[in-house]
Amino acid sequence: MKHVRTTPVLSAIALACGMAVAAPSLAADTIRIAFGGPVTGPITQYGDMVKEGIYTAADVYNAAGGVNGKKIEVVEVDDACEPKQAPVAANRVIKDGIRFVVGHTCTGATVAAAPIYNNEGVVMVTPSATGPVLTDGKNYEFIFRTIGRDDQQGPAAVKFIVEKVQPKKVAVLHDKQSYGQGIAESVRDGLKAANLEPVIFEGINAGESDYSAVITKLKAAGVDFVYFGGYHPELGLLLRQGAEQGLKARFMSDEGAGNPDINAIAGDAVEGMLLTMPADFSTKPENAKVVEAFQAKGRNAGGAFQLSAYAATMAILESIKATGSEDPAKVAQYMHANSFATPIGEISWTPQGDLKSFDFVVYTWHKDGSKTIAEK
Amino acid sequence: MTDFFPLFIQQLFNGLSLGAIYALIAIGYTMVYGIIGMINFAHGEIYMVGAYVGLVALTAIGTQSGLPIWLIIAAMLALSVTVTGVYGYTVERIAYRPLRSSPRLVALISAIGMSIFLQNWVGLGQGTRDMAVPSLISGAYTLQMGESFEITIAWSRLMIIGVVLVLMIALTLFIQHSRMGRASRACSQDLQMAELLGINTDRVISFTFVLGAVLAAVGGVLIAITVGKLNPFIGFIAGIKAFTAAVLGGIGSIPGAMLGGVLLGVAETLAAGYISSEYKDIVAFGLLVLILLFRPTGLLGKPEVEKV
Repeated sequence: MKHVRTTPVLSAIALACGMAVAAPSLAADTIRIAFGGPVTGPITQYGDMVKEGIYTAADVYNAAGGVNGKKIEVVEVDDACEPKQAPVAANRVIKDGIRFVVGHTCTGATVAAAPIYNNEGVVMVTPSATGPVLTDGKNYEFIFRTIGRDDQQGPAAVKFIVEKVQPKKVAVLHDKQSYGQGIAESVRDGLKAANLEPVIFEGINAGESDYSAVITKLKAAGVDFVYFGGYHPELGLLLRQGAEQGLKARFMSDEGAGNPDINAIAGDAVEGMLLTMPADFSTKPENAKVVEAFQAKGRNAGGAFQLSAYAATMAILESIKATGSEDPAKVAQYMHANSFATPIGEISWTPQGDLKSFDFVVYTWHKDGSKTIAEK
Repeated sequence: MTDFFPLFIQQLFNGLSLGAIYALIAIGYTMVYGIIGMINFAHGEIYMVGAYVGLVALTAIGTQSGLPIWLIIAAMLALSVTVTGVYGYTVERIAYRPLRSSPRLVALISAIGMSIFLQNWVGLGQGTRDMAVPSLISGAYTLQMGESFEITIAWSRLMIIGVVLVLMIALTLFIQHSRMGRASRACSQDLQMAELLGINTDRVISFTFVLGAVLAAVGGVLIAITVGKLNPFIGFIAGIKAFTAAVLGGIGSIPGAMLGGVLLGVAETLAAGYISSEYKDIVAFGLLVLILLFRPTGLLGKPEVEKV
């Protein structure tokens, strides 16, 4: 107990209740679900998307009288999207006696937190971490995701590039982080297999502000198509500096870059950029009620992770309802054995916790921040 | 490779505009070190504050105000320089002056603390998300050289090099010929002696911090206009690079900081252009180690004479 960071208030309460089993018995009248992800740091908007999904799901269930007669309570745990911060956050969740987590948000942080939850028997469902490394070969029992894997996103991009775009010279760039590099490598391998080997494959430093050297290199190599694996700040700068140097290449990227902030950074240079993203479930007619629940609270269901977070929360709550128990082991077992009708479709999991199927769609991004399904 | 030469020119230009900013920040490190022998680790954050103040000024004026672009930029610079100068003064007054007589390590920790404080201070006020600066100066001068490659000289980057060049010349003249410049040179030679001779050393030190902050603010505004993306953490990388540039040129030497900044920027860009972006920091820092092996005091640094 003494090695775990906790808030002074909680430790005071824990002391008052007697050290041994104080924390779990604290809030027996609610079902607590922790949100794990960035509350602080430079990419909090992804955390906001996930939180909107969790809170909306909690609101919907609470309005219907809760689950097994108990209200749902959401607890926010901050990992700032940093792998070194995530274990601290995970330990806080366990220390507070919370047994269900929706998160974490970024792949790096999720990979760091997952073994802790699995060892302690806490059910963790990430709605946004797409790195294959999270589940591959780990045989976790308690770890799930409600989003596709990078190696499902990569092939979707490759298929589109090869069949529709048919560029002459391709460059593949990434930000050297596990998410971006993972997708970039899968795209590179896919293109190679299709006899369209990238002429440049290179990592850039995330967080820097000047990528003009790379742009010059792309231009000199006569590249007409660039795939970038990473997040929107770097892609925004690449687009802006590319336009500045008159680089005539089309850009494509992953859902990590699919954020309206990129329009502010890159300006008109985003027009025509391609992105692989999960299908926009918020426009499907069968989700009208869920979307309404989002709108009623001034939230937007149309972002990248809101509905996957909603689905993650829903799967946990439905399993608690079905098993009539808050025992994470029983909930995890139930989740593995059944399928769930959620806003992101009928979902079920492979034994290692990945979705059995998940479709990525290629979108064209526009300078007003909207996106349309890409034709070519 | 008929395109070799124009390609090289383009990369050189990219490197110069990056190096010019490094040089501008490096001067702040080197001047403070020259006078009180301390590394001001909060200096990168001062640059970040400068960039943010510039953005605030731009937001207040608005891009649709109809004012000429140069006037908007001048107003951004003026406000940023003023506010950031006050920051520079305050940081010294609060975090360093009370520790002047304590061991150097204490002031160093205080500087790191100040750096974290400023990051979070701006983060709380402005949010930690990336802020975008609309591009004010678009367009470029293109030059067809060689067979197919077109050299692009973006006006915004040309402005960086121009502004930095003017500031460097002004600073050199100021240090050489003004009363304050003479006093600060005296202080950097021997602080105690200068004080005995009647120089108000506290004022000189404050002035040094303000001058460093002003230059960093200009760098911040220029980079905000050119790059267009700000977050409260940009000061860290920029600070590390500028500090490296100062050491490369010889810490304590102002021309050294200028040379070091430009050299580092060009080395990084050429490494990224001709080897790979993955290796650019390795090349740049390898260069640093190599130069320090042969010239331990940096390119233009004078060997330290132990004062008894």
